[in-house]
Amino acid sequence: MINAQIADNFDSWRTAAREFLESGERPEDIFWNTVEQASLFEPKIGNLEAREHLRVPAEFIKVAKAIACFDGAGKWPLLYRILFRLSYEDRNLLSIETDADVRQARVMEKAVSRDVHKFHAFVRFRVVKADETEIYVAWHEPQHLTVERATPFFVRRFGTMNFSILTPKGCSHWDTKELTFSPPAEKQHAPTADDAELHWLTYYRSIFNPFRLKIKAMKTEFPVRHWPTLPEAQLIPELIREAYEK
Amino acid sequence: MEIRRKLEILADAAKYDASCASSGSHRKRDERGIGNTEGMGICHSYTPDGRCISLLKLLLTNVCIWDCSYCVSRRTSDVKRARFKPEEIVKLTMDFYKRNYIEGLFLSSGIIQSADYTMEQLILVAKKLREVEHFGGYIHLKAVPGASKELLLLAGKYADRLSANIEMPVQQDLDKLAPEKTLGEIEKTMADVKFGIDDDKDNSKSTGKKALFARAGQSTQIVVGASESSDTTILTKAQQLYKDFKLRRVYYSAFSPASFTDPVIRDRPKTSPMREHRLYEADWLIRHYGFRSHEVTEGLADGNLDLEKDPKLAWALRNRHMFPVDINRASKSMLLRIPGIGVRSVARIITTRQFRKIRLDDLKRLKVSLVRAKWFVITADHNPDVFRLDRENLSDVFAKPKTQPSLFDVLTPVMPASAVTGEL
Repeated sequence: MINAQIADNFDSWRTAAREFLESGERPEDIFWNTVEQASLFEPKIGNLEAREHLRVPAEFIKVAKAIACFDGAGKWPLLYRILFRLSYEDRNLLSIETDADVRQARVMEKAVSRDVHKFHAFVRFRVVKADETEIYVAWHEPQHLTVERATPFFVRRFGTMNFSILTPKGCSHWDTKELTFSPPAEKQHAPTADDAELHWLTYYRSIFNPFRLKIKAMKTEFPVRHWPTLPEAQLIPELIREAYEK
Repeated sequence: MEIRRKLEILADAAKYDASCASSGSHRKRDERGIGNTEGMGICHSYTPDGRCISLLKLLLTNVCIWDCSYCVSRRTSDVKRARFKPEEIVKLTMDFYKRNYIEGLFLSSGIIQSADYTMEQLILVAKKLREVEHFGGYIHLKAVPGASKELLLLAGKYADRLSANIEMPVQQDLDKLAPEKTLGEIEKTMADVKFGIDDDKDNSKSTGKKALFARAGQSTQIVVGASESSDTTILTKAQQLYKDFKLRRVYYSAFSPASFTDPVIRDRPKTSPMREHRLYEADWLIRHYGFRSHEVTEGLADGNLDLEKDPKLAWALRNRHMFPVDINRASKSMLLRIPGIGVRSVARIITTRQFRKIRLDDLKRLKVSLVRAKWFVITADHNPDVFRLDRENLSDVFAKPKTQPSLFDVLTPVMPASAVTGEL
């Protein structure tokens, strides 16, 4: 049994996985352990990717990078199992959507992609003034490790604004020139009020149609776990109560 | 009047337009400003009516010289009136956008003075957003029926989407309920917008410049149940609009009488939300599953879709001679016609079957609804239910159990999000 100690990120896993794959280690013989600092594996400079049996379909790299952001058990052994099977069993494995490993990978990939999408949707900036500069600061609680994956979207969109996105899984900062990342923050670091919010709440209340309540439909797309970080969601109980009164 | 009060009145009046789509447009951020579109729409919030908030949806004013019976803002309706100044809408849009509340603006209006004057006022807001604020987010403008072609062509320069609402599927309905509107005029407006889109695409081909005219195309809306028109009439009209004007979407809005409704139709019953839902499903079949509207509506007793069964299942039960379908051999277009199998599952089936025979269990893993699909398919293994395809009472198998509806769930199926929000 091999005890693989890696950091919880794609590069660290890849470095280790290459080594195991080259020496033909079987997936069931490896125990994957994530630690703060990977100690066992130093990245080897060498043309490993060029060796035929280490070449994998581009699709695998895409899927693996997404799954690396999954915050939960089982992702590293799953990825190595798929990698091993791609190399020694069937290069078309990823096309067999009914395969149990592929299915599990797709489910994780989808969870990450959904989390990134919700990240883009549910970040709410509040403005703070530092000297003469406006900084847009958000507190968001992603389900997966998606800060680095989700932030470039905000850079493309809000490139002329200074912003920081604070989360319990890491933070990102943009100063109109450079994107940087920092360790997790806590909710009390984020601002608690913003001038435009009152208008936003007025809008939310007015655009709601109390004559067609569909609470289940709302919750499917608007998971309750995100409500605490969304100012407008605080109105929901009140709006539902008023709708019943009508 | 203070902004907050205007916002209350003019958002309230805007909510009867169902569209909130923000997809289908690609626009890079102007380096001087903020905002872009990347093709995929984003729903930033949801209200307890199950609808998404993607855009700041407002009327410029709810003052209107027209008198459409079903409309809250019609001339003879007893509601508070208000009117935004263009710069007030611009500021709200920018304030909301910078805080990541919205993808952009959907601006409509009551008819002030004339169609052209109203269209000019809407364009003015969009122009300020694009040229003064360098705003690159999504803009949906109402195409006012009867506005001049020049103005519509200008509107499409600034807007990602334009929509002229047809409201009723036939002229007789309009004559009764919206006397100032004619199908001819509304369709002329759609034709002008289509001209703008096609012309811009042609130019883009010859100049190599990116086409930007109404990149997300045009859409429309039909009010369902304010008139006697059946689902068959409505879907026939929708199919014609898709074909003639290349509309991206037709939205369906269930009529619901309210205190503001014209006495002429106030006594009509509230349209069942399930009827609206079935129309969206049928519309989906026409746009993404290769169905023609007459296939979906043939043999319906009163011309209306079955409220108990989804339209694909209902079609399959009427056309059992076309089944069973062999999952491992059938064409894509036939796979799409199997009840309980969606577009994504079909894609996965086609990829997988190149390498592996597909069995019943595999379908379950691919998230196919076997409750519906199992009667209609042949798989690599034994599927006992397919031998019962011809039984007389198969239809009863799908009947909903009669249970006491709960307060929360009565007639509120979990719709595909896309049908609620207008996302693809």
